[in-house]
Amino acid sequence: MHEALLTLGFGIVTASILALSAVAFTLEYAVTNVANVSHGEILTVGAYAAYVTHQRTGSPIAAAIAAAVAGGLIALLLHSAVIGPFIRRGATPTVVFIATLGSSFVIQNVLVIFFGAANVAYTIDPGAPQQLGPFLLSPLDLEIIASAVVITLVLFVIISRTKFGKALRAVSQNRELARVTGIDATRVAGATFFLAGVIAGYAGFVLAESVGSFNPYFGFGFFLITLTASVAGGLGRAVGTMVGAVMVGIILEFAGGYISASYNPAFAFAILAVVILIRPRGLFTSARRTVFE
Amino acid sequence: MSAYLVSVLTEGAIFGIMALGLNVIWGWSGDFDLAYYGYVAVGAYMTLVLTIGPPLSPAEYILGLQLAYPLAALLAVVSAMGVGLVVGLIALRHLRGIYFSIVTLGAVYVMYVIAGQFVPLFDGYNGLSGLFDPMGDWFGLDYQSYQYFFMGLSLVMFVLVLLFMWRISGSRFGMALRTLREDERAAAAFGRDIYRLKLKGYVLGAAVGGLAGALFAGYLSAFNPSAWSPVEVIVLYAAVLVGGRGNIAGVVVGVLIMGVLVQESTRFLPEVPGHPQIVLALRGVIIGLVLVVFLRFRPQGLLPERRRIDHHAAPDPTSEAA
Repeated sequence: MHEALLTLGFGIVTASILALSAVAFTLEYAVTNVANVSHGEILTVGAYAAYVTHQRTGSPIAAAIAAAVAGGLIALLLHSAVIGPFIRRGATPTVVFIATLGSSFVIQNVLVIFFGAANVAYTIDPGAPQQLGPFLLSPLDLEIIASAVVITLVLFVIISRTKFGKALRAVSQNRELARVTGIDATRVAGATFFLAGVIAGYAGFVLAESVGSFNPYFGFGFFLITLTASVAGGLGRAVGTMVGAVMVGIILEFAGGYISASYNPAFAFAILAVVILIRPRGLFTSARRTVFE
Repeated sequence: MSAYLVSVLTEGAIFGIMALGLNVIWGWSGDFDLAYYGYVAVGAYMTLVLTIGPPLSPAEYILGLQLAYPLAALLAVVSAMGVGLVVGLIALRHLRGIYFSIVTLGAVYVMYVIAGQFVPLFDGYNGLSGLFDPMGDWFGLDYQSYQYFFMGLSLVMFVLVLLFMWRISGSRFGMALRTLREDERAAAAFGRDIYRLKLKGYVLGAAVGGLAGALFAGYLSAFNPSAWSPVEVIVLYAAVLVGGRGNIAGVVVGVLIMGVLVQESTRFLPEVPGHPQIVLALRGVIIGLVLVVFLRFRPQGLLPERRRIDHHAAPDPTSEAA
């Protein structure tokens, strides 16, 4: 029982990172109706930006900011150079899916050219683990969990209270209708991608810290898990995605603890396949609902 | 003929077989299948466990038979079809578009992780090796002439697959697959059993992939998880797309362009000291860019599929499909 609670604690850390990544992915999906396969590379770029900045400045806060900014920029680039043009030409979701897969391949290989394919060790001293109720968590774990909660809350305020959030919701529900009412859908989608990229870049930074090392393919592996969480929660639905992320994060931590962590991607996909086959609209949606309800 | 040219032609023929198999699934049936390279891997792994004999400790793998190479290749194709059938049964039932792609991506990752981590199957990360010059001692070939022999074998298999695909392309089955790609509902309205048809096409594709894998195993004499990864399939997609999706001649052109040109042109780049992966990575960048640029500006490829019109039939008001 005690061990199960410890695992649950670590599961919450994984789930927090996963929630950040998944909510960013779901934002990208919401404004474009397209699954961005190069989402994982935003995390990877964030991790490299953080690593380089950390080496130069020695400040983890600067590293976090660099990760977020780099993630935002690369996401914006992906939207304006690849996804946006395809959507404006009326390409089918599958075509855009393939194009983003190609982009992900390009980014991975560009990173290999600049940084090599080898694992980069990147650790920040996590501090001494502390007993918190039944859980044993390090200060770093606590920071990760706290930052995930804060970022999510801020995101929900942006989506539900600001004018930009209103435009975002309008575009995600009906792009054409939003345009008719004078919303510049392309700009709103671009801004949403930047916002999602900021979150995903930061997620890449905390993921790298929490894992302790990364390489150019590291984001793609995590994308597979992100996809599982997002689909389980319902693609394009922010609240469902959060719940999906927590669920998948905890399940994976248990599976990793009791079976073997190296099976994690396979395990995640087993969950994904079951969810898609049984409830393709997500576990928590009974009928067609609007995106951010 | 230089050894270099022999290796290019052998690899090109095997790569061409892979692309022709993928063309059935993506070009005709219209499904963006990410599990495809898994069937190539199944073909390669099965060929090896059926030919290299029992494992020597500490290696472990299943079967460990010493069958003749052609028989092993045949059984490898059957195994690839079996795995393809299982994935197809699950993924083709209701899923289309990106949901199909996501589930097949999952399937191939499961295959990859199991092949790499579950040691008793194919010796995990070490993989399998030891298939030296299959069929070579039948004809008493030395090393040099064996290379020519295997090149010839690969080219003959490529031509056979090509001729077979040519026939399929114009057959009722090939046409039926295309109608599914264009308009599934219309095909169903005309009484087509969509699921069965798609499944047939999918298993056929997997069989061709398995055949390519069997040849690949014979050529490399070994196979392990670092020799393949699920993203390998991107190169194949680029080849099919550049040449002309659905058009056999186009696929061959695509293979020539992507396989030979991209792979070989970057071979002459200077090595950067200390960065052995740079040329490979550059190749990856080119392949990814070609894929995106062609999708955007010439999705029909260099040699587009010709639209067939049935002149004997009554005018068809729904022939205007994407």
